[in-house]
Amino acid sequence: MKILVLNSGSSSVKFQVIETDLERIDKAEDLTLVVGQVEKIGMSDSRLVISVPGHKPYQAYSEILEHRAAINWVMNTLVDPEVGILSNVHEIEAVGHRMVHGGEAFASSVLITPEVVNEIEQCSVLAPLHNPPNLRGYYAAHHTLPDVPHIAVFDTAFHQTMPPHSFLYGIPFQLYKKHSLRKYGFHGTSHRYVSFRASQILGRELSDLRLITIHLGNGASVAAIDHGKSIDTSMGFTPLEGLLMGTRTGDMDPAIVPWLMAMEELTLHQVNTMMNKHSGLYGVSGISSDMREIEEARAAGNQRADVAFRMFSYRVRKYIGAYAAALGGADAVIFTGGIGENSTEVRRMALENMDWMGLEFSEEHNLTHEGGEGFISTEESKVKALVVPTNEERTIARDVIRVLEGVMPTFEPPETVW
Amino acid sequence: MSWELHDVAIMGGGMMGRSIAATVAREGLNVCVKEVSMEAAETSKAELVRALDHEIARFGITTADKKVMLSRIRWVTQYDCAAECDLAIEAIQEDFDLKSQILIELDRRMGRENPIVINTSTLSITELAAKTVHPERILGMHFIYPVSTTRVVEVVRGQVTSDQALEKALDFARLLGKVPIKVFEMPGFVTTRVVLPMVNEAIHIVMEGVAEAAEVDLALKLGYDFRTGPLEWSDRVGLDRVLNWMQHIFHENGEPRFRPCPLLKRLVRAGLVGAKVGQGFFAYDVNRRRLDRLEDDKPGLA
Repeated sequence: MKILVLNSGSSSVKFQVIETDLERIDKAEDLTLVVGQVEKIGMSDSRLVISVPGHKPYQAYSEILEHRAAINWVMNTLVDPEVGILSNVHEIEAVGHRMVHGGEAFASSVLITPEVVNEIEQCSVLAPLHNPPNLRGYYAAHHTLPDVPHIAVFDTAFHQTMPPHSFLYGIPFQLYKKHSLRKYGFHGTSHRYVSFRASQILGRELSDLRLITIHLGNGASVAAIDHGKSIDTSMGFTPLEGLLMGTRTGDMDPAIVPWLMAMEELTLHQVNTMMNKHSGLYGVSGISSDMREIEEARAAGNQRADVAFRMFSYRVRKYIGAYAAALGGADAVIFTGGIGENSTEVRRMALENMDWMGLEFSEEHNLTHEGGEGFISTEESKVKALVVPTNEERTIARDVIRVLEGVMPTFEPPETVW
Repeated sequence: MSWELHDVAIMGGGMMGRSIAATVAREGLNVCVKEVSMEAAETSKAELVRALDHEIARFGITTADKKVMLSRIRWVTQYDCAAECDLAIEAIQEDFDLKSQILIELDRRMGRENPIVINTSTLSITELAAKTVHPERILGMHFIYPVSTTRVVEVVRGQVTSDQALEKALDFARLLGKVPIKVFEMPGFVTTRVVLPMVNEAIHIVMEGVAEAAEVDLALKLGYDFRTGPLEWSDRVGLDRVLNWMQHIFHENGEPRFRPCPLLKRLVRAGLVGAKVGQGFFAYDVNRRRLDRLEDDKPGLA
């Protein structure tokens, strides 16, 4: 079945067409037919890039003022006899939508109905920057493809299995009840995909394994996955918590916020932007939010780049230790995301001298690893360390199939009585 | 929004015009700012860059945001850019003749459905609109300093302003992230009418020697939760402008509570018009930071 996968941001729409079905999922033979995106929506020089794997990318420019026009442009390009891959739009049999925040309402991927749209809109208060554009993408795609099923796949759903002692904050309980103010966690599709792939590579059932998955991209998070269930993750109520990131602070003492607001006379907006866009690797180093540039500057002797790098890696290491304890020991540690897949130095600093927990890091494997999947621990290591490139779009396409075939698992939260 | 709004023309690149331009560009719209000369345009641009750098230093925006915003703003010296714009807004000084001249130029060039906004706190929208061929698309908006952080804007209907023009102006205000307050034309509208007698009273208190300026401000700031006291606020707006508004409203309605305090007149005549020159009721450095703040007026953690 050909599935259109959409990831709609406020000014961009990323898309893929993936051919898959239950049999292909089983054999990991999902086919990515085309990858592309529309950028600068809302401007007169919007750009569409589309590439068929193995071919030269095709680019076009046009004035695309809103999401509906963007989706139309994508569909017209897909059926274009020169650059497209479809003979007509009806070849698309379903659409999968990435949704950032499903709150406590969604513990699984679901078929989008008017009730579901309503629920997602209610979750927008939790993710005011992300859910509204996600929904705009859905409305636009539904307008163009009204007769096929549309499925929502949430970043938060996979972490709904977390128990209350890990998702609650130590604030008055009534504030949790009133605002649903709790840890949700993000990157769920990524943690889920790489944990599943790791179980296949290890040749064991996911339900037999205790895994620590580490997604290090522009945003970064770690998850503790206990026999297939997420029991803790480093991102929180928003994607600001946890690891140091490109421009985000990650963990810090919350008392800093009111203190800085008073001393620097910052507004709410300014302090929010400070924590989300002026901090992290960029804020500490003063150089870049890009780990590659941090590594270059560090190699050239820049002290602040060095400390930013160390903070980044140290926090990854700290979370590995914490989650190993939370899980009562781990069977494997998995790196993914742009930095996780490519930075040998971050992986080394996070994993060397971890023999105490049964993890023997292999510098040789680490250095010779060239993209793709592979081990970075020694053959003898009791706890394995792996690199598994993430593929969120593929997980979304697979969930579309699973929902339609009625085999979509639910990440049920543990039962609570309060 | 049921109409297309992508291009905005701003007449005048002074403090108000620049501030509106930055906000509009930040929302993803294209802006052309019309100045009287290339030299004035250069100054306006340099000042905006300075303001954006300041906001970066305050963490409000990123260098990438600045770049994107500047890429959406162009400075021009002719009225022609307005022809392609969906809305125009003038932001020059409070001068009836200059404003009416601009309105006539805009009215001649812009599609008749496109609203033209007069940025005023005291002038008559109706009287200004009467100078044009399509007065129904003309209305007022009163932004409050500092434009980028003050969430309210008064949207002012003149006698013949159409419902469509009003709706578009309300959309525009919301797009800027402001809460629009609908008012009918009357000198001072709501905010200026309420604030000026208070400011005037504060100046009288200082003139009478009842209390020091700094303490008058602090009393109101802490007592009524004002972000800025009325005297510092006046310094920041410019005492010359405050005087100009008072004189105008006093002239319009003859109410003695709007009669400018002699001390205000004296300061303006001495050229001590506030933050922009470094001295008004208080002293300021070149970055317009107040220098002589009382110890109790410093931020604290209480």
